[in-house]
Amino acid sequence: MKRSIAAAVGAATLSALLLTGCGSGDSSGGSDDKTLTLAGWSLATTPEFKVLADGFHATHPDITVELKEYDAKNYDTQMVADLAAGKAPDVYVQKNLKNFYTYQSGKQLLDVSDVAVTGASTDAYKVDGKTWAVPYRQDSWVLFYNKALFDEAKVKYPDGSWTWDDYATAAKQLTTGLKAANSKALGVYEHTWQSTLQGFALAQSPGASLESADYAFLKPYYTHAVDLQNAGAQVKLGDATTNSLTYQAQFGKQQAAMMTMGTWYIATLLSQQTSGDADKFEWGIAPVPQLDESTTGTSATPVTFGDPTGLGINPKISEGKIETAKAFLAYASGADAAKALAGIGITPANTDSATTDAFFSVAGVPGDDVSKFAFAKHDTKPENPVSKYTAPLQNILNDLHTAVLSGTKDIDTAIAEAQERAKNEVLNK
Amino acid sequence: MTTMPTARRGRDTLVGWTFLLPNFIGFAVLTMVPIVLLFYYAFTTWDIFGGAEWTGLANLRQMLHDRSFWTAVWNTLYYTVFHIPLTLAVSLGLALLLNRKLRAVAFFRTVAFFPYITSIVAIAQVWNMLFSPGYGPINAILRAVGVDNPPGWTTSAEWSMPAVIVVGTWREMGYYMLLFLAGLQTVPGELYEAARVDGANAWQRFRSVTLPGLRPITFFVTVLLTIGSFKVFDLILVMTDGGPGQSTLVLSQYIFQKGFEENQFGYASAVSVVLFLLCLLVTVVQFLVNRRRDA
Repeated sequence: MKRSIAAAVGAATLSALLLTGCGSGDSSGGSDDKTLTLAGWSLATTPEFKVLADGFHATHPDITVELKEYDAKNYDTQMVADLAAGKAPDVYVQKNLKNFYTYQSGKQLLDVSDVAVTGASTDAYKVDGKTWAVPYRQDSWVLFYNKALFDEAKVKYPDGSWTWDDYATAAKQLTTGLKAANSKALGVYEHTWQSTLQGFALAQSPGASLESADYAFLKPYYTHAVDLQNAGAQVKLGDATTNSLTYQAQFGKQQAAMMTMGTWYIATLLSQQTSGDADKFEWGIAPVPQLDESTTGTSATPVTFGDPTGLGINPKISEGKIETAKAFLAYASGADAAKALAGIGITPANTDSATTDAFFSVAGVPGDDVSKFAFAKHDTKPENPVSKYTAPLQNILNDLHTAVLSGTKDIDTAIAEAQERAKNEVLNK
Repeated sequence: MTTMPTARRGRDTLVGWTFLLPNFIGFAVLTMVPIVLLFYYAFTTWDIFGGAEWTGLANLRQMLHDRSFWTAVWNTLYYTVFHIPLTLAVSLGLALLLNRKLRAVAFFRTVAFFPYITSIVAIAQVWNMLFSPGYGPINAILRAVGVDNPPGWTTSAEWSMPAVIVVGTWREMGYYMLLFLAGLQTVPGELYEAARVDGANAWQRFRSVTLPGLRPITFFVTVLLTIGSFKVFDLILVMTDGGPGQSTLVLSQYIFQKGFEENQFGYASAVSVVLFLLCLLVTVVQFLVNRRRDA
């Protein structure tokens, strides 16, 4: 008797296991041609996917766009797994260019050259003369500054005329001024990412390239950063990493008077000021400092960097849905979607004047001319080139980043070493 | 012995399998198959999409000239060579200390075991703050006792590995202490009595009775520690991420970088095979040495 109970329990466990195994084998996407599935992450806090889905449904009432949620931090890992398993949604997001290369070279994107894109550039997604994804969002790095702290330190606001030398001078003046005013805030916060310095170096230095294995162009940027650390105008990298400082708290809690960061932070800062996670203070954005005076001032176009966020089509999409998916891509990169995205504080890829107006009508966005200029006018280079060498070269340059900013190596030694490793481990392999 | 009826035996086999299968399927699908495949991928280039392309010994040749790989090997050995003896000494010391009839001994044993069951991310975060060069309490104490230029710990190339070793030892000492405590119970009390009668002092009793009595458990702990040290990963990933520079880059993290960050799964598999062979070699040597001592 006892034994038959045991057998029943065992059999039940086994069948449960098999059932769950079968259950997860179901395709998650809608199988009919009227439903398009779209990947997104952290849907509760990232409204942009729902805005796109609802906006498309409004213009194409017979089509429903269903969202499939992924984890924001592990988005690409999960997407790679889903694509390899044939379970990914019809349309999926290219979160950054580094992984766009993985998808494109892995034949996980459909050719979308025939999608009509106006007002946004698809250059970043072109490989072998064909377009493989379409951008709907284009973030770019700007200089955030805290007007209250600038006033306290009696330093003039950035006006778009700054080179990195001017920026360093201002950072030191701010630090001294704030100390005199009994404030604990420092002049500047440069976040711990390698792109905080290398993104600008790569975008602004003429002829700079990762694959040249000539990294001399990094030197002026690191010299400035080390100088600012030593002058006490910003937190040292070691203190920032060991204490896990977040840039949101550094700027939002007024620990630093200015900070370079991507435009995605605008929406975050607005919502944190409302929720109380950030202090309430007046702030503005300005163009990032430039390498030399040829690109400063409001008559020139400041050079900065930032990756587009794009949409691509899963090649395993059912034949009947391809046209719908392409229509969705055209909508997402177009002016209507841009206005809707700007309305929730996001920088769309499509930036005509209507979009800028929609963006600056959002409550809390600074309305001064410099902020508008910084938002609307810039030459935004991709953070990284799209190439099979990018990921390993970036790992090498990240070692340079931590070695130099922690004071372990001086910049010349570190550059020489990185060049040697780039040739030895990546390019001449 | 009477033979069972065939029907009954068939049912017994079925029952046996139903108990075994749930676990075995999981093991086979999630562990055994990937391990077998790993040995195949080690001889291919594979970027996860599509099939792997057979390249023979190309990965091995690349490894020979790959300076980062050798840096990782060197750092792994550095960690292993210091982490093993240190953890052995500390956990044995703790076990001896907590093997007496003290008041609240259970409490102290729990305290020593606590780091082992604490989340590694929390451990790394807190130790990083303790080690923080500018504001951390460790350097504050060092400065207070007169060290003018305290080390940069996890932010300096020279001190990052020692810092990681300290945390690694602190984390694991409780677990190995438990094993040693179990071992201490197996040493017969009469031996201590006999040694006392012969006039042996505490140190002599420790050397001639305790240590030989603990031989089997010491061997077991050393083997576990060796394998654990060779594949140290999580602690380094969350504490230093291999930095600054490459000063704490270890083999497992190098495998992770090559595989999951750079999509070179073939090369990452090849490095994994080397790590496996390294562990195997050292363990076999340990077994041989142990057997010779037994003889």
